[in-house]
Amino acid sequence: MLVRLLSIIALLILTSCGAEDAARPAPVVVYSSVDEVFARPIVERFQQETGIEVRLVPDTEETKSAGLLNRLIAEKDRPQADVFWSGDPVRAAILKSRGLSAPYHSAQAEGLPAQFSDPEGHWTGFSARARVLIYNRNLVQAGQEPKSIMDLIGPRFKGRAVIANPLFGTTSMHAAALFGSLGEAKAKEFFEQFTANGGKILSSNGEVRRRVADGEFAAGITDTDDANVARLEGKPVGFVYPDQDGIGVLIIPNCVVLIAGGPNPGGGKKLIDYLLLPKTEQALADSEAAQMPARPGVSVPAAVTPLDQLKPMKVDYAMLGELLDQLAAGYLKDWVDRSSR
Amino acid sequence: MGSALLIERWAWWRPAGVSVILALAGAPSVPLIWQAIGAGGLTGGLTEAFRSSLMNSTQVAILAGAAALFTGLPLGVLAGIYSFPFRTLMLVILAMPLLLPSHLLAIGWSSIGIRLSFSEWLSGLPGCVLVFAAMGVPLVLLTTLASCSSLTESQIEAARLSGGERTVITQVLRHAFYPGLVAATLSGILSLSDPGPGQIFGLPVAAAEILTSFAAFFDFARAGQQCLILSGITLCIVAPALFFAASPLANELLVRQTRPIRLKRQAAPSRLAALLMFGVVAVQLMFPLLGLSLPAFSGGQFERAWNEVARTFQDTALYAAGAGMTATALGFLLAFCAARNERLRHACLAGSLALLALPPSLAALGVIAIAVGAPEWTDPLLRSRLTVSLTLGARFFPVSALVALRAWASTPATWVLAAAVHGISLRRYLWKVLLPFLAPSLLMSFLISALLAASDVVTTLLLHPPGASSLPLTIFTIMANAPESIVATLCLLYVAGAAILMGCLWWITGKAWK
Repeated sequence: MLVRLLSIIALLILTSCGAEDAARPAPVVVYSSVDEVFARPIVERFQQETGIEVRLVPDTEETKSAGLLNRLIAEKDRPQADVFWSGDPVRAAILKSRGLSAPYHSAQAEGLPAQFSDPEGHWTGFSARARVLIYNRNLVQAGQEPKSIMDLIGPRFKGRAVIANPLFGTTSMHAAALFGSLGEAKAKEFFEQFTANGGKILSSNGEVRRRVADGEFAAGITDTDDANVARLEGKPVGFVYPDQDGIGVLIIPNCVVLIAGGPNPGGGKKLIDYLLLPKTEQALADSEAAQMPARPGVSVPAAVTPLDQLKPMKVDYAMLGELLDQLAAGYLKDWVDRSSR
Repeated sequence: MGSALLIERWAWWRPAGVSVILALAGAPSVPLIWQAIGAGGLTGGLTEAFRSSLMNSTQVAILAGAAALFTGLPLGVLAGIYSFPFRTLMLVILAMPLLLPSHLLAIGWSSIGIRLSFSEWLSGLPGCVLVFAAMGVPLVLLTTLASCSSLTESQIEAARLSGGERTVITQVLRHAFYPGLVAATLSGILSLSDPGPGQIFGLPVAAAEILTSFAAFFDFARAGQQCLILSGITLCIVAPALFFAASPLANELLVRQTRPIRLKRQAAPSRLAALLMFGVVAVQLMFPLLGLSLPAFSGGQFERAWNEVARTFQDTALYAAGAGMTATALGFLLAFCAARNERLRHACLAGSLALLALPPSLAALGVIAIAVGAPEWTDPLLRSRLTVSLTLGARFFPVSALVALRAWASTPATWVLAAAVHGISLRRYLWKVLLPFLAPSLLMSFLISALLAASDVVTTLLLHPPGASSLPLTIFTIMANAPESIVATLCLLYVAGAAILMGCLWWITGKAWK
């Protein structure tokens, strides 16, 4: 009986593992480092409106697996993806530097700020997040909220502040931006003082959110979508856009990339055009991600602060990738290693 | 077809078969290993940080393996010879940690630790050992159960007559010790390639260094070098254990009567078994599951979670079942080739453990490299759901190999001689005699490999065809920013669904067990 059962299972497996049906129209394959809960509704809407099937391949947080970017790099000579939807410009720039992207100037990019996009058209920026200071309202009294990232190295937050690993994700981009904005000496001083003040490094922005919300730590640095999700869950947290009187807050636009040599470039371009529409920015602003439209004039819900009301950090997004490459293998890795001992 | 004597005769095809199977299982890792060696040997990967993290990883592996052995072995023995209330249910529940990615268990412990104010005790080494021991206990327990299944009622009765229940338990412990030791070693080795708990509890581990090479530096060569170092050190550490374990693993059954064990309900031992099982379930599973699932009761996200389950259930089951079958087939083929030859058994164990120490990213990226270089007509093999099943099966086949080596060796050689004397063909002997005898071990091997494969996130992320994600992978891709309640509900549905499936499978094949 066992052998019969195992034979049936084997038959089911073999029949389910077949190749694609050649008669069906080619789908658009999009790899996305944007959180699945936010990306899936958008691509499903595209599918409904255009009739073009979309296969979304979402990514885990970078500290949980080797990640989709490695998959893209490994697939370079025969890619399966048509589009890469990145949560930040650095990943997009990495693809460009490795020859995985193709230039595409979408007509729908009109109205989007030029500084958020690659000058050569390899990636186009839209709908943004920001790096914020999240704090626990039960542990931080009203009026004592942190206003600058430098507050985390002060006595008020001694042993009570957290940051995600700066080798990964948006924290790595933030670290590179700090070096670009503050200069090497001041940026290094911040990181050294952070650990000297008892600050802890956690694995991800999600961990920062969870452990600040649970009250293990008083404050941390994370992204607006993480902070907003905690707020919507009713956690006792608040968040602040830091350094509005100083260097400004780091704005992180989504970026969309056309993959060179993808199987369905026509479909890929249609998806890119759709993602760059104002209504997509509207949808992302209305979602739990609470993203800020990059395009002026797109209405936002009350929980979302429009970009023009914030003082942004002055950053050359096109150069951040290169700066991060040097820092990651050098100072940042050394700092993480020393802090972990 | 040939004579049944083929099973016991030495022949040239045995070492060739062992080499081919180990090479097949290791083949996906070759592209990146080649790249690593070509980039200047191993020195590039041996940084100060990697050395220090290796020490931490080794400590975790040894402590977690020891905890798994000293918990799983007695539990497996008691469950293997005694009946007690809810025995099957407890065994199914105890197997659940194999199903959960370690990251989730770690988050569960971290959450409950914060709520109950003992999170500081979990920081660093203790938290990592706790999580990996929880995953090692079912591995040791199920392997011990499989080992007990090769005992006979007459052996148990003889032990009982000579010295009562204490003698029975002692003798069965001795019988199951070496398989349990190798299973504990396997669980320790699995922990070496897993960065999750180290990241949650703040302990720098070797797997996190390798992950950094992949995910922060995109340096495949450096990651490959670090993987080779990890694998080499693993072999050096486990070599003594292999040397002592290989021979006892080959101990065969030399009896004329092969009545299988009938589980007895004895007052004191049965009560002890039930209590111990409940204690382990409570500590190792209920606490972290509570930490993970409490938010589910406040969120009202059942419908959304159910949609995710419905979308991914078929592919999850497919990957798990496919991997289980692949691993079982490879493991038992290996055992068939190695038979009772001690040198071949050493080689099988050493090769299997070395492969298991390699992080899953290595094989998965290697498969991608092979697929990219291959023509398009190979896509059904190299870029499909079958690819995921085969790669996962190759990853976890060392676990099946352990079960298979033990099971194969416990088949009496005298049966083969009797079959040859009576002119029974090899095919008939295999189908009518050997397969039914090995059925419980086949099932155990399939279950363990399928559970481990189901919980794998890395291989699935890198290899799944677009649109064919698994449920654990979906949990990981949404957990960054989905409400806690939906992640918690998904975890609960996943564990409950798997427990029901396992229970059904166990019940359906219960006759085969007896």
